[in-house]
Amino acid sequence: MSTQASTPDDERAERDALAGEYVLGTLSAARRRDMEQRLPQDAALRTAVQHWHERLLPLAALAEPVEPSPQLWRRIEGSLAQAAAPAAPRRVKTPAGPGWWDSVKLWRGLAGGGFAAAAVLAAVLVTRMGALPGAPQYMVVLVAPQDKAPGWVIQASSPRQLSLIPLGQAVVPVEKSLQFWTKGDSWSGPVSLGLVKPGQTVQIPLDKLPPLQPNQLFELTLEPVNGSPTNRPTGPIQFIGRAVKVL
Amino acid sequence: MLIEPYVTTLTDTPATNDVADAAEAIDATSSFNYEQALHDCARGDRQALQGLYRQEARRLLGVALRIVRQRQQAEDVVHDAFMNIWAKAASFDATLGSGRGWIYSITRNLALNAVRNGAREVSVDEETTQALDAQTSMDAYQHTTDAFELTASLGKLNDCLARLEPARRNCILYAYVDGCSHGEIAERTQTPLGTVKAWIKRSMGTLRECMA
Repeated sequence: MSTQASTPDDERAERDALAGEYVLGTLSAARRRDMEQRLPQDAALRTAVQHWHERLLPLAALAEPVEPSPQLWRRIEGSLAQAAAPAAPRRVKTPAGPGWWDSVKLWRGLAGGGFAAAAVLAAVLVTRMGALPGAPQYMVVLVAPQDKAPGWVIQASSPRQLSLIPLGQAVVPVEKSLQFWTKGDSWSGPVSLGLVKPGQTVQIPLDKLPPLQPNQLFELTLEPVNGSPTNRPTGPIQFIGRAVKVL
Repeated sequence: MLIEPYVTTLTDTPATNDVADAAEAIDATSSFNYEQALHDCARGDRQALQGLYRQEARRLLGVALRIVRQRQQAEDVVHDAFMNIWAKAASFDATLGSGRGWIYSITRNLALNAVRNGAREVSVDEETTQALDAQTSMDAYQHTTDAFELTASLGKLNDCLARLEPARRNCILYAYVDGCSHGEIAERTQTPLGTVKAWIKRSMGTLRECMA
């Protein structure tokens, strides 16, 4: 993969130099774009960038503060209202009582808190939802592969239908979309469940598929706007998780 | 804490370098809980976003304006930054860095993308051009003095920057604070492009070691 002279130390130094100039701002437009494409997939590079941001942050104090025009906050508020409008039907249609919604809030609050949070979510889901009438028979917490931050929850109240519920607003690059996949242990490959919009809940019928099974894999991958051209995942995994049967 | 003595000449750059100002800025930021505000944003709390705006918008606009150098474009950057902060708050991970650092990284990235994508050529107004020209000649005249006044409020970074020769230190600051490309720095400092690139590369190595 690397040339014969390249040692882990060389690689680290090179990565660090690249991250440093990215943060400093001296990379060209093309190299900045390269970096931004690499960053979501490269955890080590992301960490290096983060460290440089922190190291150089005190220099930001050298720029004299400037009072924004009064319109600026109003403009931001206007854009927020606009952004919220299409994503508004976020509440999930569910037969369960207030306990359910309370826990959604809890999860969203915890989202981003890392893998420990995902484990807590799973425990909360399994213990709380099991007790409710019409509660899901399966649940899945989809986490980001790099930092294990939970991003979505899947619940299936029947083996024939599932709901994919966002815990936050995933960011998808322009000209890309999120595609939803599943694969049972014995299947030959993943099957597409369609494209998903960040921040939106979707209900997906499973009548063309075998019934849900424990440990069934679910993932969201980054694909071209119209979905994977090969009908197999081609892009990086954004979120991944396995089904747990609710006791 | 020492007051750093290598403060020398001022160029026409309107940097805020007064020790009292900087100390005030640090006081104001130390009591605000950025991580909590981001956490609340992730839960859809707009008041939290407004709180962040009240806390940081002036400084963020200052940072953006130094980089893009045009008022309207700088406000656009801050607008987009707050939209990004709102949309990505759930992905903020406090184990990777501070909330305040995260907000600045988003803003600087947007500002740098705006200028690197070529917007600068058409957006530098005449007044700014004159100011830059004046600065370039001044730098050429006194090319080994500091273009920026630094203070002890920069903490460890200040001590590390002090290890660099002034000409090299200026390159780092022109890049970070003013968003200058290698080419712009070469022009400002009347230094060959290759030299500027090598200086920056080595200076970054020095800073990294010093701050480890």
